[in-house]
Amino acid sequence: MNKKIGFILALVVIAFLVMGTASAGLFDFLGGGSNNSARVNNDNNTFIVGFDAEFPPYGYKNGSEYVGFDLDLAQEVCKRNNWTLVKQPIDWDAKDAELNSGSIDCIWNGFTINGREKSYTWSEPYIDNKQVVVVKADSNIKSLSDLKGKIVETQKDSSALHALQGDNKTLGESFGKLQEVADYNTGFMDLESGACDAVAIDIGVAEHNIHSRNSTTKFVILNDTISSEKYGVGFKLGNTQLRDQVQKTLDEMFADGTVAKIAANYTNDGVPGSLVRK
Amino acid sequence: MMLGSMVSLLMEGMITSIEIFLLTLLFSLPLGLLIAFGRMSKFTPLRLIMKVYISIMRGTPLMLQLIVVFFGPYYIFGTTLSPDYRFIAVIIAFSMNYAAYFAEIYRGGIEAIPKGQYEAAQVLGYSKIQTFFIIILPQVFRIIIPSVTNEVITLVKDTSLSFVIAIPEMFTVAKQIAAAESSIAALIVAGVFYYVFNVLVAFVMARLEKRYDYLN
Repeated sequence: MNKKIGFILALVVIAFLVMGTASAGLFDFLGGGSNNSARVNNDNNTFIVGFDAEFPPYGYKNGSEYVGFDLDLAQEVCKRNNWTLVKQPIDWDAKDAELNSGSIDCIWNGFTINGREKSYTWSEPYIDNKQVVVVKADSNIKSLSDLKGKIVETQKDSSALHALQGDNKTLGESFGKLQEVADYNTGFMDLESGACDAVAIDIGVAEHNIHSRNSTTKFVILNDTISSEKYGVGFKLGNTQLRDQVQKTLDEMFADGTVAKIAANYTNDGVPGSLVRK
Repeated sequence: MMLGSMVSLLMEGMITSIEIFLLTLLFSLPLGLLIAFGRMSKFTPLRLIMKVYISIMRGTPLMLQLIVVFFGPYYIFGTTLSPDYRFIAVIIAFSMNYAAYFAEIYRGGIEAIPKGQYEAAQVLGYSKIQTFFIIILPQVFRIIIPSVTNEVITLVKDTSLSFVIAIPEMFTVAKQIAAAESSIAALIVAGVFYYVFNVLVAFVMARLEKRYDYLN
């Protein structure tokens, strides 16, 4: 019996190897694999920005275009360096695989540095983002302590979730339930329909959602903040060359007021208020 | 957003979905037949390999297979991934997965043909290849059409998995619009798109079924 299992396992391994080799071989054949190491600098003058296209105001779909504060910044950086910008919407869960395999050059999308310091090569922070709580205007929740026993929703793998499970664990544990949803759009639908009592969310995303729903009277943001965090541009660990180039251009854009000007286009989303002061 | 512009945006995504759908069928239907032959082969190692292949393809999530096919070349061999490879990887993964299902459907169809027909064909002087393609295969098609229809309809809906390697097909576009607009209208329109497309698929398959229904 054991012999049989071993034989089957061996076959499984062989099948996987054959599959892998076949797909890689086809890939080489199609001309994809010209060099055998991951690209660390963008030698071919295209700058591929990976972003989550469901994360307004930093990156989202407007008409047939991808727009957002971060993408506008990236566009300006590319313009000043004579690069061609490629906006690549990615599945957020696959961001590390995308970055490490070189299929994107950086993650630039309201990307939180705190807690991820050692996992990426970071630019300097450009946004100081707060994690806040959104409730219905007519609810009796006025402060964080009122959330005791309530159902609070947040996006999976989000900063608010990490804060509530880490540094602010006591607060997180006081909730009746901390529910993870796929995206904040669902969170707001649940809040509106009464399926949850509050949504823990980044302030910029909260402002955007409240304004785009024309519901400034329907929802309020609590004054208490859960935590605060910095946004930066994340590059593959060790890719300091590209990071330095982007950082240099960003510093110039901060110095000549371009960043503030771009941020002003996103006033309704609370972007100017959360810009890092330089 | 106006319904018209939403529909035209979703239409762009739908073209990607339809491309995945058609290319997958183009490759997986013949590949499935080959795998079915391997699965029924008298040569034991080949039969076992195909059995394991089918078992892995049906036993692991398609989403995982997409990730393995796309990122595998980099993580196993250190190959640089080109942006064009995203779509190619989707087609490879979908075709390999669906071929496994089709193979079992073909096998079911082929094994449903009574042995007497092979013997009769032999007596009449048909070669083995002639027997299969002229006598057996047309009957197999008739038997398997309902099962194939099931798989094809599932495929239409499965195309939405391809965003895991960043191919923005229709449902992804719908989700992005929903996030930007803070409304679920786009998702409902996307649902209508899938439904209409599947009604179309079902209609075409029903016509095919009727055409092969020569026994009644």
